[in-house]
Amino acid sequence: MTVFHFFNCAILTFGPHAVYYSATPLSEYDTLGTSIKAAVVYLATALVKLICLATFLKVSESDSFDPYQEFLKALIGFIDVAGLYFALTQLTHRNISQNHKFQAVGLGWAFADSVLHRLAPLWVGARGLEFTWDYILQGLEANANLVLSISLAALGSLMWLRKNKPKTLIPIIYLSAGIVATMPSITSYLRRGLGWHFPKVVGFELFTSLVMAFISWQLFAACQRPSA
Amino acid sequence: MAMASRKPRDREMLFDSVIALVFILVACVDLCDGATVVDVYRLIQYDMSGVPFGSRLASLNHHAASLHFSPHADLSRTVLLIPLRELNMSFVREYIAESKPLGGLIFLLPRMFSFENKDGKESTHQDGSKELLKNVLGELEQILIHTNLPYPVYFAFEDDNIDAVLTDIKKNDVTGQPATATTGGYKFVVSAPEPKKVVSPPITNIQGWLSGLKTDDDAHQLPTIAIVASYDTFGAAPALSVGSDSNGSGIVALLEVARLFSLLYSNPKTRGQYNLLFGLTSGGPYNYNGTRKWLRSFDQRLRESIDYAICLDSIGAWENELWIHVSKPPENAFIKKIVEDFSSVAEELGFTVNLKHKKINISNPRVAWEHEQFSRLRVTAATLSELSTAPDLLEKTGGLVDGRHFVNEAAIVRSVKLIAESLARHIYGHQGKNIQIFADNSNLAVNPSYVRSWLDVLSLTPRVAPFFSKDDPFVMALKKELEDHTDEVNLHRDVLDGMFTFYDSTRAKLNIYQVASVTFDLLLLLVLGSYLIVLFSFLVITTRGLDDLISLFRRPPSRKVKTA
Repeated sequence: MTVFHFFNCAILTFGPHAVYYSATPLSEYDTLGTSIKAAVVYLATALVKLICLATFLKVSESDSFDPYQEFLKALIGFIDVAGLYFALTQLTHRNISQNHKFQAVGLGWAFADSVLHRLAPLWVGARGLEFTWDYILQGLEANANLVLSISLAALGSLMWLRKNKPKTLIPIIYLSAGIVATMPSITSYLRRGLGWHFPKVVGFELFTSLVMAFISWQLFAACQRPSA
Repeated sequence: MAMASRKPRDREMLFDSVIALVFILVACVDLCDGATVVDVYRLIQYDMSGVPFGSRLASLNHHAASLHFSPHADLSRTVLLIPLRELNMSFVREYIAESKPLGGLIFLLPRMFSFENKDGKESTHQDGSKELLKNVLGELEQILIHTNLPYPVYFAFEDDNIDAVLTDIKKNDVTGQPATATTGGYKFVVSAPEPKKVVSPPITNIQGWLSGLKTDDDAHQLPTIAIVASYDTFGAAPALSVGSDSNGSGIVALLEVARLFSLLYSNPKTRGQYNLLFGLTSGGPYNYNGTRKWLRSFDQRLRESIDYAICLDSIGAWENELWIHVSKPPENAFIKKIVEDFSSVAEELGFTVNLKHKKINISNPRVAWEHEQFSRLRVTAATLSELSTAPDLLEKTGGLVDGRHFVNEAAIVRSVKLIAESLARHIYGHQGKNIQIFADNSNLAVNPSYVRSWLDVLSLTPRVAPFFSKDDPFVMALKKELEDHTDEVNLHRDVLDGMFTFYDSTRAKLNIYQVASVTFDLLLLLVLGSYLIVLFSFLVITTRGLDDLISLFRRPPSRKVKTA
């Protein structure tokens, strides 16, 4: 029965990634290799981040919100953006369109993130006898994270790969990318600075991820038009 | 150089971060395992002449229910959580005495019975309800002890966590719905190994010797007075059997009498011409098995030198009446003298001491009073007790209800005065004279704080003899205390024999998990499945168009046609 619950939570956490891959044209163009490469880049980035965190951050005894530490953490969080930049521009891909490239990279990125951050707690916790909503919420968070990663990858590909984009849209693109990249810090602030509970935070994440996805989709469409 | 020095530092950092990662994982494990944990105390498990009694199982893994369960429910896989306040005896008789199948039983005792709550201060209830609860618990204890229960039975104390759990369970039982995550289904888990027999349960009798003043050459000519109290207990929950009254009060009185006489005997002028023998005996609940072994180990001459023995049993909760129990006829000269000593002193102290005679039936294995073991060996002896009638086997042996706040220190202090004064009159030959040796405010006065502190210690120490280790700290503490007051202290070790076999595992940790039902999991699976299907359809429609989605379902048959 508890294995059942683990299975449920695993479906919620990792299912959308698989569905995304098989439902969109990604599967038809066989972009699995790109996703895997992006996942590897994510792993390397995570390691670098971890080292930076261990080096520059003090271990806080209390769970309180320290603005300076959080600022540092947000700065270190931007290493993610660098990793994404590397994944989008430097990796030699087979001849796939930009359209599919950012999706594949975002998907691999989000999947690696889910595996790294959520698999172990899920394995250890969701099989226990005690029932909590936490793992279901965590699965929902993984969904939000998938949407955010793909949005960020889309914005990144607009920033770095597309040369001829409307000048008026450039500040908006950068602003949106900045917001998406600082999402981890924002949620951390909500959780610890304002003392929000986990369900509320997850609701916020889901909401903002949908909003950001919509915005980046519109931006992407707007940039597509002149070239088309 | 700089490069070389940096490299190890990098490695160190990496090492640190790996450790951090491990710690995060461990923290996660702790967080996820955050179920409620409660200390529980198991019902005793023992065999009497090969017949099993008590709770026969220790491990528990069942769903919980309260007393509000539906009448036709099958309870063979359910733990019943029963607060003592709501217990009615008809249920107990029906379920326990008729041994209907149950998954397990957990009794919730009010906080005032907890030995950590020694003052009973929080009890805002009337004394009447306290007495009522005491009687209910006493009756329950006797039923539990004398029944064979083929499932685990535990006792726990009420606290905020378990009260919240109980409220949830009750709510759930009243609505009659199956347990789900939202309505509070609970699983109770005690993982304990199978109880093992206690091999050769030890008995340790402690004996202290205070020798009198020799006037002749032969010390053995001096008569001896023995003061004896049994110190171990027996109760429904061995880990809770602290026995403040039976026989904590006796131990305290004995130690205080020893202390008073050690003061007198330390000065040659006031040293009496009697040897004093103090005995703390084990095995009291089991027909005073330890006393019997201890007496048999005596040298014949020593046994014959005993003038008389005073056994102390349950003297901590009386108002104005004490009883002297004897087994020799009251006309016996020695008995007469003892009773006269005691009743005259009692009269001066303002209460009465009554004599009760109960003949010994040698063929009956039951030994109701400790002095009967002396009498069986033809030593004059009497038991001083607040009980007017002899208790049955395993009754009044310091069980669950025998807590600190049912014992009155003042009663013990008065008892000590009575014993010490009567002994002193006998020893110094002041019979009939109104002389107070242990008067209040003299340096020989009974020390109430000494009495209180020992009583507090005893009320925190479960003392079921079979579960004592060989050199139990408690026994060592008693020995040390007696060493302070007497000339010579000996430990007499033996093995509890007879018809009793005990099983270990007396306390455990109860894990309470809130669990979701299978229906909830199925429902969740259904919801998640439909979510994924909707997501899939949505993505296909937005990226490839509706036609693609429809063709997705048509493709397989067409492929079959192709292969055919």
